[in-house]
Amino acid sequence: MARPGAITPQEALDRVGETLGPWIEEPKLNFGAVDLVCKPENLVRVMRTLRDSEHLGCVFFTFLSGVDRSELGEGGGGLEVLIHVYSPEHAVHVTVHVPVDPAAPECPSISGIYKGALWHERETHEMFGILFPDHPHLTTLYLPEDFEGHPMLRSFKLPTRVVKAWPGAKDPEEAAAGGR
Amino acid sequence: MFDITLATWQILVIKVLVILTVVPVGALVGGYAEHKVMAHLQHRLGPMYPGGWHGWATTLADGIKFLLKEDIIPAAADRKVFSFAPAAIMVPIIMIYLVIPIDRNLVIEDLDVGLFYLLAIGSLSTIGLLMAGWSSANKYALIGALRSAAQLIAYELPIVFAAAVVAMLAGSLSLIDIVEAQNFPFAVWPPGIGLVAFLLFTVGAVAEMTRVPFDMPVAESEIITGPFTEYSGMRYIFSHMFAEMGHMVAFGGIAATLFLGGYKPIVPLRILEYIPGVFWFFGKTMFMIFLFLWIRPTFPRVREDQLQKFAWKFLIPVGLVLILATGAWVLYV
Amino acid sequence: MAMTTGPKPASRGAGAEGRLQTQEMILNVGPQHPATHGVFRLLATIDGEILINAEPVIGYMHRGYEKLVEQRDYRQITNLVSRMDWLSGINNELPLALAVEQLMEIEVPPRAQYLRVILCEMNRILNHLMFFASFGAELGAITPTFYAFREREDIQRVMEATTGGRMHFGFFRPGGLKEDVPRGFVDEALKGVRQVIERLPDYENLLVGNEIFKQRTIDVGVLDREAAYSYGVTGPIARGSGIDMDVRKDEPYLVYDQFEFDVCSAPNGDCFDRFWVLVREVGESARIVEQAIEGLPPGPIMGKVPRVVQAPAGEVYVRTENPLGELGMYLVSDGDRRPYRLKIRTPSYSNVSALSHVLANTYVSDMIAILGSFFFVLGDIDR
Repeated sequence: MARPGAITPQEALDRVGETLGPWIEEPKLNFGAVDLVCKPENLVRVMRTLRDSEHLGCVFFTFLSGVDRSELGEGGGGLEVLIHVYSPEHAVHVTVHVPVDPAAPECPSISGIYKGALWHERETHEMFGILFPDHPHLTTLYLPEDFEGHPMLRSFKLPTRVVKAWPGAKDPEEAAAGGR
Repeated sequence: MFDITLATWQILVIKVLVILTVVPVGALVGGYAEHKVMAHLQHRLGPMYPGGWHGWATTLADGIKFLLKEDIIPAAADRKVFSFAPAAIMVPIIMIYLVIPIDRNLVIEDLDVGLFYLLAIGSLSTIGLLMAGWSSANKYALIGALRSAAQLIAYELPIVFAAAVVAMLAGSLSLIDIVEAQNFPFAVWPPGIGLVAFLLFTVGAVAEMTRVPFDMPVAESEIITGPFTEYSGMRYIFSHMFAEMGHMVAFGGIAATLFLGGYKPIVPLRILEYIPGVFWFFGKTMFMIFLFLWIRPTFPRVREDQLQKFAWKFLIPVGLVLILATGAWVLYV
Repeated sequence: MAMTTGPKPASRGAGAEGRLQTQEMILNVGPQHPATHGVFRLLATIDGEILINAEPVIGYMHRGYEKLVEQRDYRQITNLVSRMDWLSGINNELPLALAVEQLMEIEVPPRAQYLRVILCEMNRILNHLMFFASFGAELGAITPTFYAFREREDIQRVMEATTGGRMHFGFFRPGGLKEDVPRGFVDEALKGVRQVIERLPDYENLLVGNEIFKQRTIDVGVLDREAAYSYGVTGPIARGSGIDMDVRKDEPYLVYDQFEFDVCSAPNGDCFDRFWVLVREVGESARIVEQAIEGLPPGPIMGKVPRVVQAPAGEVYVRTENPLGELGMYLVSDGDRRPYRLKIRTPSYSNVSALSHVLANTYVSDMIAILGSFFFVLGDIDR
């Protein structure tokens, strides 16, 4: 049961191409969703257009997260911010990939456009170490404040697979034995 | 002279013993009734095991459990006030029973100003709640204590108005005189006035007992248990469980005395006169307790501001009009 | 917990206007608090009975599922994601199965699809009844709890007989189901949902018809439409704000397009509307179960799935209508037995992030009503 304003994925792809043309790269369809790549400097403009354009009207914020593609093999790439928005009126899904520099990952905050991004960006910040400079309150969300490392990066191995000294060890023997 | 002194002394001991038994026993029975009445209203069985027959010893077992628990006093609490608060809550409730006539000749002290005493003592335990809330060094307790103080001020007035109506009709403040002045249709007489006064009193009583729907001071889903948040063990059961049940039994007794004709039979039949007044009194008290228990599973809780508005903008004006109407009735009918 | 933060000396209100000088107080609601359904903390600044603002603090239950799933193969993940929203376990397993099936292009036999619908909807009834109970309890009404649990038990027993679990089912596999339903399933399930349909009016009257309940909830905690979109709020909460979004209708997955049901929505966005939508959805779910059972086809319950489930390289975003809102999984696969990256977009997470927007300038008592009407599960927020 489609909504009256619903459009086909192909139409959606065309509309995205028309409205966002110069600011995005490689728009394509992926399982009915419009996939596009966008540089960090264009992100705010792209997202605002996606939300405000009448043709697209992607007012619904689905999620924002990160993907560390460094171990994905050929054509993998590096670290990227992944944003998904949806247009309830036209039934359009848009996935925005924002590749960021793995050495100094930084991405503009879209929390001014989608308020829901406030928490998602905090999570992405602590999990991937991506900085959102204009986020109003970029503190940890899940992790303790003194947590070291960014757990969702591929380089971060799960502690269950790495023997780690137990911090509470009092006995020298126990500490030496890995504290298990 | 000697044996008269001894008799007075003996009587005093008996009186003290009686009220010291009535309250805990009443609270235990009330607690059990609460378990069971609520359970059956919600199509479940309630406690079935303690004591064997339908879990009759549940509240007893609960009480013993609580007595054996550790008495924790928070480090930041004001120790003296904190330890004394349960007594300040409990003693006034016990003292209510002093003046309630259980039968024509079975009253511990028939004060001339019995009604006045009742109203004065009945609201005293709020001071204990304030003490508990303030000394606990806990914000939930503080909010709860302030809420209960505000609630007392708001809901004491409807109770006083309702009681004033009764006093005006009976022309006395002595509770025995009040009971004697009441006749058959009891609460329904005089038309309109009696029933409204009874309802006013019941609503006020539920609020004074801080029970649903007026249980903002102890709203367990918001402020844990209000003033009693930090209490444990014996102090908790005395300040909260026992006090609530004791209060309920006391208010049941007061309502039975003031509105339902106390120890008089419900219908003026000669044959019913042979049944002792104790039976009628406790029967009516139980009816009132059942009413209080019935209210609890039926309603959600009203919000603090709605609670205050309901008292000040509805109950109190109704009470004032009621007093005018009673005055007119006494003068002209 | 209330004393962990001292009173803040900041004062509010100018004495010059003759107003009483009052101090703001920081109240730590939670992490252990009866109204927070788990370890959820609300940092509330209050002035007497008025809540000036509130900041939700989460993460007390973070289990790092998104990292964990990268170490497990798809069969193991089924049981992991089942534990996210523990009130709707089987619904959590669905998007994972769908995502893998889409990447692997597995055709799921109709019987499995129908059974999935039936189980999901029964789980939705369980979940909604639980929130029906807890919302009442938060407003001080204790009876709904017992009413709802009586109904839940019948359906719960059917689920248990089918899957072996009461909360964590682990029943969906990529390609179909773990096993077929036991004998007598159809009758028992029908009996359970028919009972719900029959008794639902009673439940509605008990709370929705109550004057005190209306006063406590109408115009309390209004979440406007724009904010709901912007925060990504979904499920009964969004539909209570006049958004008629429902993945089951908008982009039917499984066989939802073959059933007749309504998307309930209410325009005002207050606690009452959210609750009303929730109660209504119980009835709609029961309707779907009835229809699905009537049309339940015979046949296999597992599609053609290779022995080792290896999703080919690719990316897919699958979303389903969880009882609490849109549950989405963004699966990035590199062709391994394990997902390369699985982003789980849980409904409660987005819904609760809108809380501070709604909570500002309400009463302390309203805070509880609003928290209760935001129907969240801690495991679903923290993952």
